[in-house]
Amino acid sequence: MNRIVPGWVWGSAAAVYLFLYLPLIVVVVFSFNDSKLNAEWVGFTTAWYAKLFRNDEMLVAARNSLLIALVASVIATVLGTMAGFALHRYQMRVLPVLVVAPIAIPEILMGVALLMFFVMLNLTLGLVSITLSHIAFCIGYVALVVRARLAGMDESLVEAARDCGATPSEAFRYVTLPLILPGVIAGSLMAFTLSIDDFVITFFTAGAQASTLPLQIYSMVKIAVTPEVNAISTLLLLLTLLLITVAARIAPGLLRMND
Amino acid sequence: MTAQTLRALFTVVFCAVLVGGCGKKEEPAPVKKAEAEKPAETKPTGTLNLYNWNNYLAPETIARFEKQFDAKIVQTYFSDNEEMLAKLAAGATGYDVIVPTSNALEVLIKKGDLQPLDLAKLPNLTNMKPELMNTPFDPGNKFSVPYAYSTTVIGFNDKRMKAAGLDPRGFEVLFDPAVACKIKGHITVLDSPDEVFSAAFIYLGIDPNTTSNDDYKRAAEMIKKAKSCWAAFNSSSYIKELSTGNIWLALGYSVDFFQANQDAAAAKQDFKILSVIPSQGAVLSVDNMVIHKSAPNPALAHAFINFMLEGQNAAELSNLIGSGNANAAAMQYIKPEVKANVSVFPDAEAMKKLRQLRLLPAEQRQERGRLWTEIKVR
Amino acid sequence: MSDTTHQASSRGKWFVAGPPLAYLIVFFAIPTLLMVVASLRVPGEFGGLAPLQTESGGLNLSLKSYGRFFESLIYLQLFAKSFVYALVTTAICLAMAYPLAWLIARSAKKYRDLMLLLVILPFWSNFLIRVYAWMIILGPEWALGRAINALLGLVGIAPVTLMFSPLAVIIVLVYVHLPFMVLPLYANLEKHDPALLDAARDLGAHAWQRFRHVTWPLSLPGVFAGSALVFIPAFGIFAVPDLVGGTDGIMIGNVIKQQFLESRDWPFGSVLSIVLTVTALAVTGLAALAARPRRSAT
Repeated sequence: MNRIVPGWVWGSAAAVYLFLYLPLIVVVVFSFNDSKLNAEWVGFTTAWYAKLFRNDEMLVAARNSLLIALVASVIATVLGTMAGFALHRYQMRVLPVLVVAPIAIPEILMGVALLMFFVMLNLTLGLVSITLSHIAFCIGYVALVVRARLAGMDESLVEAARDCGATPSEAFRYVTLPLILPGVIAGSLMAFTLSIDDFVITFFTAGAQASTLPLQIYSMVKIAVTPEVNAISTLLLLLTLLLITVAARIAPGLLRMND
Repeated sequence: MTAQTLRALFTVVFCAVLVGGCGKKEEPAPVKKAEAEKPAETKPTGTLNLYNWNNYLAPETIARFEKQFDAKIVQTYFSDNEEMLAKLAAGATGYDVIVPTSNALEVLIKKGDLQPLDLAKLPNLTNMKPELMNTPFDPGNKFSVPYAYSTTVIGFNDKRMKAAGLDPRGFEVLFDPAVACKIKGHITVLDSPDEVFSAAFIYLGIDPNTTSNDDYKRAAEMIKKAKSCWAAFNSSSYIKELSTGNIWLALGYSVDFFQANQDAAAAKQDFKILSVIPSQGAVLSVDNMVIHKSAPNPALAHAFINFMLEGQNAAELSNLIGSGNANAAAMQYIKPEVKANVSVFPDAEAMKKLRQLRLLPAEQRQERGRLWTEIKVR
Repeated sequence: MSDTTHQASSRGKWFVAGPPLAYLIVFFAIPTLLMVVASLRVPGEFGGLAPLQTESGGLNLSLKSYGRFFESLIYLQLFAKSFVYALVTTAICLAMAYPLAWLIARSAKKYRDLMLLLVILPFWSNFLIRVYAWMIILGPEWALGRAINALLGLVGIAPVTLMFSPLAVIIVLVYVHLPFMVLPLYANLEKHDPALLDAARDLGAHAWQRFRHVTWPLSLPGVFAGSALVFIPAFGIFAVPDLVGGTDGIMIGNVIKQQFLESRDWPFGSVLSIVLTVTALAVTGLAALAARPRRSAT
């Protein structure tokens, strides 16, 4: 099989990677910047990392963000996969709108609406309210990706399985799911990203004692987004990378994004 | 389930929402009301939920308070009064003490969101500067106590101003295109209709608290013309831009310019960031401490406010960020270089020209909103 | 189809669609309905919404906020402007993401996971800090600004600042949305059967023809998904124009935010939001129709 990739594709892919990483390199490099500002390189220091470890608020916020993102992305992935499947397979009238609309609706409207709704229900605001809100807007992303994946899938495989006597759920588990897994994983990655970085909706649905990293960081905007923020971003990145590497070692099948 | 059933379900839900919207005005009952009735000997303790601006409470102060009362302060932050007001308007609760600016304070009082202060629990009130007490926002200080203040002034890069031959001590350097365009693309103004319109009014010699639509139109026209000389509307990163030298002149808060100057010095820049109260006058923003009506821990809230009224505690904030201090007893603890800063501690002459912003009525607010959008589009 | 299979498939349908539907109805549809109703309500005197019931017991509703939309042309202008920005962002994202997604899909298995992770990794750092990084990169002191101004200087054009400009807004918009184009495209491209391309080559088609007649049509669902996930959020975003836009860099998202904050006019904010959402959904719906892969007789 001929798998030669044209040179210009390599070139443009490399350029895109550079585009993606240039700001990140700046972020990491500036976490060692000996200046309160995030603007010019002054000198090298690891003081910001030291300061970060003494900053309980920031660390708790980071922990909360990770926790919420993990829970929200898992639940959103499950619900989103189901929704994507339903969108592809069945003629649904309401679900397509309900799935896409959260992506379209301005975050500030949704944030205010969810807050009013939670207050109506007398639900205590806190990490739970934030997670519930995040799931709501992440489902759509997963659903659309899964549906796109299903659209390219060969239905005859499923039919063959059914012909061999598999029940619908067995056919799903052993045939469909493995085939759409790359789409599911892609969707869950997006959901995780969206959740860990959300500000507006989180701002409105967070309680008095629940803080996430974006909330902490945005509140610093008026004073100075110090390199402490760069430091925690770098650390969070490394941590997530570590988590994924470990997970890949422990359960290689779990993270298989390709066949 | 047929389409009909689904439609019926939606109609039911819609109506429920409509009806539900009526009855939802009651807040969940404050849980720890009993604490306020406790006998006076029991020292207030527990957790204080403080809804505050970021970096608006010195770490030393927090540590001292927590030690003295065996309590814990949990801070939640907002970076804009409007964000805080929107959240409270949608029904959020759980905050003990909130730190709104005076015009936001007016909103909270008029909405009935605050509980009256128990003055018996605030013996340190006598420390306050009388000229900042008993304002039209809160006559008799029934609900609030001033915390810190800052002025909205012009900050500038002294080297660049000299080079351009500009005198930044008046609003012409912002609003007169003939002057402003000499440093075109290096000016930012706050991204706030409150501040920009007020500055425009002060320049035009109109009372910033005007409610006349014509005044607003006049100011909007002038702002639109001046806008072409500006780089951006920026409330968040202008400190950074000033300290790095990208921006040479900005309309901003005195506390921010104090910080920008410190940052520029730390970055070993060859210029200073100075600020002046414009000759025509400026806006004074006083931040206040209030207790939300459904505060979980009102006893500790009162204790905190009284604690912050002590001279030493109040002074720590001024020393940290260069904010103006409403506490007379604090003055002796404030660093001389902060006290010397005239845009932070203006002399009597300048104090007369300072104006506090009042709540703008809804009608004018919306009209101003439309003008603001036009300014930003055209 | 027999009765039992019809029932079974109907049961299956609600088994699969039920949970997400229920969740979205409770945590999305109902809160949104609250705000749709809010668009008919009257703004509260001090912000928020006025009580739903007037003193006399009637309903305090009004269409005034919808009328405000037509008070001035600026809102329509802003919608158009935001539409264009979102469209440009989507087009650029597609152009940038397609080769990359294709490359990842064609790469050896052992590299694919890593390459995909590398695409999304930057986005697990905070949004604000990444935009700040762009402000540094696009600032006048850095190589990029200097290089461009040097080039312009040769031609005799005055130096331009890259920051606080529409260009900065587009660059950052593209940056922020890129992974949401790469991932769906990849998920779709990965499943393409290489045998189809080989067959096409054997039939004499050269690279462009293979792309146009085989790869592209098959990838349309992925293109659509990616485009939707970029266009729709970009249409309503406010953070990017706020941070790097110039004095006239705002988009409709900024005006909506303004209604909830400075203007304290929630009903009008709802009206604008409804128009935004309906427009976005309509555009997506139309695109879905256009992007449906043409199924020729196979």
